[in-house]
Amino acid sequence: MSTSPSLPPRVGEYMHALMVERLHPLLFTFGEGWQLQAVRGDAAFHGADADAGARMAEIMRDLFTGLPTGQDQGLPFVEFGNARAAHVHLIADGERFHVLLLDAEDEHARQQVRQQLGNEAALAGQAKTRAIDRLKEIRGELERQRASLAEANAFKGALIATLSHEFRTPLTSVFGYLHLLERQVGPGAEALPALQAIRRNATYLLALAENLLAYARGAADAVPLDPSAIDLLALAADVEAMFRPLAEDKGLDFRIECALGEATTAFLDGVRLRQVLINLLSNAIRYTAAGAVSASLAWREGHLHLRISDTGIGISDDFRERVFQPFNRGAQDGSKGAGLGLSIVRRLVAQMHGKLELESRLGAGTRFDIQLPAERAAAPRPAAAPAQPARGCRGASVLVVDDDPDIAQLLEALLSDLGCRVRLASDAAGAIDEVLREAPDLLLIDVQMPGLSGNAAVFRLRSRGYRGRIVTLSATAASAAREAALRAGADHYLTKPLDIEAFIGVMQRLLGERGATRSDAPQVRA
Amino acid sequence: MSGATHKLCLLGDFGVGKTSLVARFVHSTFSDKYLTTVGVKVDSKQVALPGRAAVKLVIWDIAGRNALDALGRNYLRGAAALLLVADGTREDSLASALDLLMQSRSVVPGAIVTLAVNKFDLLDEWEVVPPVLVELRRSLPVFETSARTGEGVEAAFADLAGRLAS
Repeated sequence: MSTSPSLPPRVGEYMHALMVERLHPLLFTFGEGWQLQAVRGDAAFHGADADAGARMAEIMRDLFTGLPTGQDQGLPFVEFGNARAAHVHLIADGERFHVLLLDAEDEHARQQVRQQLGNEAALAGQAKTRAIDRLKEIRGELERQRASLAEANAFKGALIATLSHEFRTPLTSVFGYLHLLERQVGPGAEALPALQAIRRNATYLLALAENLLAYARGAADAVPLDPSAIDLLALAADVEAMFRPLAEDKGLDFRIECALGEATTAFLDGVRLRQVLINLLSNAIRYTAAGAVSASLAWREGHLHLRISDTGIGISDDFRERVFQPFNRGAQDGSKGAGLGLSIVRRLVAQMHGKLELESRLGAGTRFDIQLPAERAAAPRPAAAPAQPARGCRGASVLVVDDDPDIAQLLEALLSDLGCRVRLASDAAGAIDEVLREAPDLLLIDVQMPGLSGNAAVFRLRSRGYRGRIVTLSATAASAAREAALRAGADHYLTKPLDIEAFIGVMQRLLGERGATRSDAPQVRA
Repeated sequence: MSGATHKLCLLGDFGVGKTSLVARFVHSTFSDKYLTTVGVKVDSKQVALPGRAAVKLVIWDIAGRNALDALGRNYLRGAAALLLVADGTREDSLASALDLLMQSRSVVPGAIVTLAVNKFDLLDEWEVVPPVLVELRRSLPVFETSARTGEGVEAAFADLAGRLAS
């Protein structure tokens, strides 16, 4: 067996033929100073013109700029101009040297596909990392914004609650003293029209402020319904008392009819129901110059049906939808409100899962029909109604606790009118001392006071055995506030601004019960 | 007036825009498509210099990488100038360019160097911040470039050509 390192000539020839076929060698031979001496191989295959020897020589010379020509060297994967990618070798050969180009186009293409995939994956990875970092930043920013919004929302809620309280309290004074003045001047007095104008505008101010607050609450959409047993007759009487003076002032025929049969109690959200009635009646009276305004409450097919009709200016077809848009001033001729009333009515009715229908003819009047799904019940009969309610008040002792001296004096005047003996206290702690010293038949106490709250005072008194009547008075209309007061031990919860008629009714009823159950005398332990 | 020929190598991480800078400088073209360079692409351009002989730059656009291997060192040999290229939107590509400079010093210790921080048209997405460039300018010329718009490209190459001619 031969072990010679040299290949047989036939094999050498075969390999040479194979290399030529696959690598398409192109050889440039240069003398000193890059003088082109010869070109061998397939120049055209490499994109070089065989006749353009000088141009190729320049390219080769440029390629080896800065490199020695006296030593062998190789440059893999070189692209120049439009030529195919090649492995370029410089081969030193004594006085001369050769530049050999071996085709690398296919290998270059394969390498490029692999490298492209790798590089794109790496770039995508970097982009992903950056995107994740950015997402983290955005999430952090969103968290900060969410916290900021929650804070702003809490602030808004606090602001609304504060405003609600702030405007209700002075209106209580306004309505209360109006009541006193109207009684003092008597019917037909010269000052009566002025007092009626004050009442009219105060009522309007109250409705306007209530609507703005309802709109500002916005979140009302998210506030769940708060159904409770509503005395529909009492509600109708309240609303009638509120609007009758305004209607009579304009010479309108004004009626509120209740066709409820025995079922005078409805389980509904009382605040929302009252707001619907007030808004619709307020509009009806405002837009009716002559004729009649009426409201009716009736049960129909399991629904409480409200109908508010007027003979006013009416609403044209063009404005039928627009009147329900918020801030729609100008939708009706002569409108002067904020344009919120009907948009709020529609929202409230929708929240109560009810239906609202509008019938109107321009110049002939308007009618709203509202169907509200509601449970109904007969009103509980009072255990012992006083034959002469006013008699129950006469001589009764009442302790009035309010930090606002105007309100305190108003309440004192109203109760004195009823024949009560009235004492005053300006804070809850003082009230407790006063009750412990001499228990009154009835404690009338404001909820929001500096220091100890009215509810806290009520709770302390009840926990010490005080069994007299307690009525809390608050500027907060929310049912949660009402429940809190009743839980603390109050018998009744009244909201500001005070509805004078309702207030008198409550006082007569509670003090009348006192008269009917003398044995239930107030007792208290220190 | 034809002057000397100089070999100029572009060094930088992949995808920073080396090939695009050359295409913009030599052929005044730009393509959004990313096509990786395998090995090296060689181009040349005469750069006219005011009041002096034009300089011919033989530009070696070396395949992008963040470290210099034997092949890369082989390509670098004989270079008179280096154009380091970084991508302003990738801060790590700037670190790579500076690493490549350190590694190239053993092969081409005397080569002059300029830094191009590319993709200036994407300035909103830049991770490289001005104070870093202020610091770098104490050591080497720095150009903010955009192969897309051409911003700073001519100036970067002209800076190198001018320094090679002097």
